Amino acid sequence: MELQTLSIADRLASPDAEVRRLAVIDLPYSDEDDIVPLLLPRLQDSDATVRTEAVRALEGYEDAEVVEALAPMLLDPDAEVRTAVGLVLSELKESASAAPLIPFLSGHSAEVRMLALRAVRALRVDAAFAPAMDALKDADAGVRREAVGVLGYLRRAEAIGALAEIAARDPDHEVRRIAIGAIGYSSEVSVLPALTRALSDVSWMVRDEAAQTLGKLRLGLAIPELMRAMQDDYWQVRVKAARSLGLLKATAALPSLMEALAHPIGNLRKEAAIALGEIADPRAIPALEKALDDADPDVRKLSRLALTAISLAQK
Amino acid sequence: MKRIDLEFDLVVIGGGTGGPMAAVKAKEKNPKLRVLLIDKANVKRSGAISMGMDGLNNAVIPGHATPEQYVKEITIANDGIVDQEAVMAYAANSFDMINELDRWGVKFEKDETGDYAVRKVHHLGSYVLPMPEGHHMKKILYRQLKKARVEVTNRVVVTRVLTGANGEVAAVMGFDCRTADIYVIRTRAAVISTGAAGRIGLPASGYLMGTYENPTNCGDGHAMAYHAGASLANLECFQINPLIKDYNGPACAYVTGPFGGFTANSKGERFIECDYWSGQMMMEFHNELEGGNGPVFLKLDHLAEETIQEIETILHTNERPSRGRFHEKRGNDYRSQMVEMHISEIGFCSGHSASGIHINARGETSVPGLYAAGDCASVPHNYMLGAFVYGRICGENAAEYCAERPLVDYDAGAAAAEEARILAPLGRTDGLTPFQIEYKTRRLVNDYLQPPKITRKYEIALRRFDEIREDTACMMAGNPHELMRAMEAHSIIDCAEMAARASLFRTESRWGLYHYYVDHPERDDDNWFCHTLLSKGADGRMTLAKKAIEPYVVPIDEEERTAYQRLRVARSAEAA
Amino acid sequence: MTLAATPTQVPVQVDNDKCIAEKGCTVCVDVCPLDVLAIDMLTRKAFMKFDECWYCLPCETDCPTGAVSVSIPYLLR
Repeated sequence: MELQTLSIADRLASPDAEVRRLAVIDLPYSDEDDIVPLLLPRLQDSDATVRTEAVRALEGYEDAEVVEALAPMLLDPDAEVRTAVGLVLSELKESASAAPLIPFLSGHSAEVRMLALRAVRALRVDAAFAPAMDALKDADAGVRREAVGVLGYLRRAEAIGALAEIAARDPDHEVRRIAIGAIGYSSEVSVLPALTRALSDVSWMVRDEAAQTLGKLRLGLAIPELMRAMQDDYWQVRVKAARSLGLLKATAALPSLMEALAHPIGNLRKEAAIALGEIADPRAIPALEKALDDADPDVRKLSRLALTAISLAQK
Repeated sequence: MKRIDLEFDLVVIGGGTGGPMAAVKAKEKNPKLRVLLIDKANVKRSGAISMGMDGLNNAVIPGHATPEQYVKEITIANDGIVDQEAVMAYAANSFDMINELDRWGVKFEKDETGDYAVRKVHHLGSYVLPMPEGHHMKKILYRQLKKARVEVTNRVVVTRVLTGANGEVAAVMGFDCRTADIYVIRTRAAVISTGAAGRIGLPASGYLMGTYENPTNCGDGHAMAYHAGASLANLECFQINPLIKDYNGPACAYVTGPFGGFTANSKGERFIECDYWSGQMMMEFHNELEGGNGPVFLKLDHLAEETIQEIETILHTNERPSRGRFHEKRGNDYRSQMVEMHISEIGFCSGHSASGIHINARGETSVPGLYAAGDCASVPHNYMLGAFVYGRICGENAAEYCAERPLVDYDAGAAAAEEARILAPLGRTDGLTPFQIEYKTRRLVNDYLQPPKITRKYEIALRRFDEIREDTACMMAGNPHELMRAMEAHSIIDCAEMAARASLFRTESRWGLYHYYVDHPERDDDNWFCHTLLSKGADGRMTLAKKAIEPYVVPIDEEERTAYQRLRVARSAEAA
Repeated sequence: MTLAATPTQVPVQVDNDKCIAEKGCTVCVDVCPLDVLAIDMLTRKAFMKFDECWYCLPCETDCPTGAVSVSIPYLLR
């Protein structure tokens, strides 16, 4: 086929936009060793579909010139190009790549701010801190979500207050949920009020996240609140609370966990059996022995494992 | 067709998962090496993860699990028949590999502070790490191949590894499946990463390529290792999986389990105790299926709408995206009914069970200069991450090996014989088609080798396989594509015979359904607490030997062992 | 000759109006792990040449114009 006998460089320069686009798609799998210099000019292609493919093909090539060329394309007139740019920028890994992105963290459209915030998150650069703190007040919930994400990754002590505030008051439940997860970098006791308050959030997803984060942080002081969460209307929240109580080796939670061993939801009985094994207190033996007759084989198995863990711990 | 002679330092055979990693790591170790990655498909979309993967099943991440804990679990899950040092080599390098893949752009699920979001799914430790956008995996690997300047050759089917005067790797041979050009590639070392042997049996649908494994993975690597003189380990430990009936894709209890989904019998009751894939689980599955409580189903219809939506998103975008389309045609809706499941055809796949080309903790086979990684090699329960880790181990060690070895001459007689063998079907204008040879072999595998294993049936199978081998003398191919199928048919017959001979050798039962031998129904640790090794004997026929289990590096506490034993016997005790 | 020519309905369909193989596109042919797709030299469009499909879908997902659609092979449906 004559078109395939053309060199990739010739195809990239074809007057036919479709041929140029195909050449860009083929380039990463061609014999060309160094594809970046061939792709950069195509970012300026007059055809948006060619630009989109060129952006996608540059994913994972984190040279300074690539990032500098891609960042301004967050303002490309074509929506598909902008989406591709956002995705590729969100794959960046090196903190050195952040500089060209900083100007897009504020101003511009909500979409641009959101994509730029998402792109700097994993780079964990100090320069993103102030813009992210500002963006917590953004009118757009999507922007606030990404801002919270940036602060969670940055893990700076001075953001805890602001994140706690967002977790308590943001009108968007997904923003609140992410904020609760984001607090999970600080095991300071000061985060405790925010997390325990979140255990009573109106959204069960927020409560679920809070129950999980308390376990991740091993915040023993939260054991009473987690025990209350074992009465949550949503069994999903109870499962997370049981998981955290197990991780915390919360002997005080024995009664509520043993009670959960008889709950109608199998997943909760399973989690309770695991937690009782982790706590390894012999007082749980009768309840676990009863669970050996559970209708759910998984519960029976995990109860047997928990009983073994208890007997090993007593040695 | 012409003959193409090439020369490299290292040839990696198979560009799926472990292969690209081996090639990249060999180049990183020594950028001067000439490394060739060769695949009979196109590396862009080849192998078991051509459409990606939805998560890691065996991530050993500090804070969630320890390498020692992992080695213990794998030891017990494999009834003690493991080379612990080799399992430990995986476990100790698992976290580094995850971090490297993360840097390469693989997206693992993380929490809101950037820590890996590890899930606990019914093991002692927590090993499950979801990959929400795992469908980009191959693109990421290809990018690394390019950055490392690995040479890639697609659509060349490697059929044999040729050896030199001392039995060491000297060259690999194969042919182009579009032109039938013969390739002879001299090399100092080779890595086999050809995946599972997943085309030995016939799927329930009867559609030849409707296999659980990517059908390109038909045991070429197992066959070429055998013919090169390498040993293969524990081949009687088959891979058999629980699948969606007819569709033959995984039912993914792993994915749905954490959301509350489970495998149920026809009454909608949970019956499986051991819910990570193992021979024990398959035994329970088989008993339920055959014991009057079948069919067996995947039950999700009790879950909340948002949970089902999340499950659908994961299951229908990664690994097997056609799953949604299958359900649609059948009118299956997870919300309203259970989805019928079935048992897969047999195969060899260390990713899920424990059989394959025998390697040690350095990835070395018994042939000098020959390495193997991933589903085709013998390290048990390796899954995708294990293929990556062993790809790295093989790549680095092979790079070291070939830096100090000269190219040696291959046996010219063997090369001529192989060229004649490859081209023979093209020279015939009449005869049996590769399809006929393959279909019949695989049908006989189902008839006679699918467990429960019975000596008499296995003996009949071996006789019939011999007949088919004779029939291959009149196999014809009308074009290079059919020639590929013809050569694959040879690999399939080799693997079928290996499966039969290895099974007859181990006169006990072990690993649940994988080696449930009706004539020897009990586990016999006194005589069979050992590996079995199959290799080519001096007479050119398959020969089997026992190999002692290597000393454990992580001792297993007696009480822990009993705890697991109790898990296994609990069911039969209940029945009694 | 003792060979039959038995037709079979194939699972991969190509919309010739959308297929741009004539512009040098071979994406679907390249990505098929089983090498069952080809470009018809007369129509200059892609087609399924061998009924050996794993319904794995790269041909459909990677097609730059959305011309390829894969259905589950009849024997499985």
